Amino acid sequence: MAEKFDAIVVGAGPSGNAATYTLAKAGLKVLQIERGEYPGSKNVQGAILYSDALEKIIPDFRDDAPLERHIIEQRMWMLDERSFVGTHFRSDDYNKPPYNRYTIIRAQFDKWFSSKVREAGALLICETTVEQLLMDDNKVVGVRCDRMGGDVFADVVILADGVNSTLARKAGFHGELQPKNVALAVKEILFMPEEVIQARFNIGEEEGVVIEMMGSVTEGMVGTGFLYTNKDSLTIGVGCLLSDFKANPKKTTPYALLEKLKKHPSIAPLIEGGEMKEYCAHLIPEGGYNAVPQLFGDGWMIAGDSAGFVNAAHREGSNLAMTSGRLAAETVIAAKAAGKELNAKTLSAYKAALDGSFVMKDLKKYRHLPDVLETSPQFFTTYPELVTRAAQTLFTVDGVDKASKQREIMGSFKSARKLTGLVGDAFKLWRATR
Amino acid sequence: MSTVVNVEEKLFQNRYKVDHGRPHISIKKPEICANDCQSQQCTYVCPAACYKAEGNGSVTLITDGCLECGSCRVICTEHTNVAWEYPRGGHGILFKFG
Repeated sequence: MAEKFDAIVVGAGPSGNAATYTLAKAGLKVLQIERGEYPGSKNVQGAILYSDALEKIIPDFRDDAPLERHIIEQRMWMLDERSFVGTHFRSDDYNKPPYNRYTIIRAQFDKWFSSKVREAGALLICETTVEQLLMDDNKVVGVRCDRMGGDVFADVVILADGVNSTLARKAGFHGELQPKNVALAVKEILFMPEEVIQARFNIGEEEGVVIEMMGSVTEGMVGTGFLYTNKDSLTIGVGCLLSDFKANPKKTTPYALLEKLKKHPSIAPLIEGGEMKEYCAHLIPEGGYNAVPQLFGDGWMIAGDSAGFVNAAHREGSNLAMTSGRLAAETVIAAKAAGKELNAKTLSAYKAALDGSFVMKDLKKYRHLPDVLETSPQFFTTYPELVTRAAQTLFTVDGVDKASKQREIMGSFKSARKLTGLVGDAFKLWRATR
Repeated sequence: MSTVVNVEEKLFQNRYKVDHGRPHISIKKPEICANDCQSQQCTYVCPAACYKAEGNGSVTLITDGCLECGSCRVICTEHTNVAWEYPRGGHGILFKFG
């Protein structure tokens, strides 16, 4: 097949679909290659869809996209073995359309997004793994697939092939992922009647709740647990840095960690009776700004998870993926319109567009956070435990006077972290998030 | 960790199209796992328990339940002894929900 395309997009996840859709809408001849049986069959996410990034691509997506529940309440829990202290933010403003975010089921959502991509005029080929990039000197000129008789050519290849970023790694565009820069997350989907979910989470039809958890559920590893409400199912999962899984002296498996989370006395009643229908695992690139690789070169650009575009602090990724895919496509469209060759110089406009967007601005803002968290496990163990114990001390009525209780709480913080440690931790967090 | 968790029960819920006789991941040099790798992290980090520590000190790999996350390759930092590719198009895990 010696046919030549304006662009080839590898992958049909959020960044690949955003890129392909944008290119096809502009009338370019674009081929999208997906290794799964159908778009979505290889893709894993929590999953929260942030409306804004998709609105900029498909403004009326709400008309027919498969959306589960719009989120009206965000809960943040700090847990020890038997209790939790939580903050809940619920606002009726989140209950007014247009809704800000939704839970979605990725296999269904990606299929829908892909149908829009094909309507826009792109050619999609599934069940096809791209084995390597085809180079002419230093320029990417196409891809080699494991079927279709081999090689396909294009003026530019957009790599949207996911966190493992196999193609860019093989081509030498970047090195192997570092265990400290990726989180391994596992999750299950548990089905139960809509009404049960609504009663348990104090929500109405179509309303949803998100719970993020930190503390004993990760056994001292840097990571979080999560519980999301879908329409008639719950998604529950836990993710920790791969370097921490590796170094954990208890050698806890990811699935044992997930089981422990499900058995926590504050979680178990929420998920009770749910019928488990799938178990997934996925890596999340959490290295942030300092782990972002080279993003473009002669004839290629890289987007989404393959480029490490995840804002771990805010649990955002798919919106960065869609935005980067769109910006990569717009770079191609502008260059083609100007009759420019798609070399590194031209495609550097992609990096400039990313720098000017929330994608790189947010990653830059939190650039110190991965290092701080990696070297400060106290944020994930000591503090949640201190806080839950403090709450228990304060709220247990047992004849001890409140001043003594207060002294006991202050004492527990000081003995755990010392005054200098407390001040140092506060400074570290401030510096990493300012 | 005291709780024994049967991951096979979890994987049983998943849909796979196994590429029989063509595993997409392999251990490059099995003797390195047996002789040089003290930690054998793949045997407890792999979320699908594809890697098993055998009684004789070796590590065996069966990729049928693989979730295609990439962890085994990324954590094998000392010996880089995992040859990791995606399955052939259409094969491997097929997420129903993802």
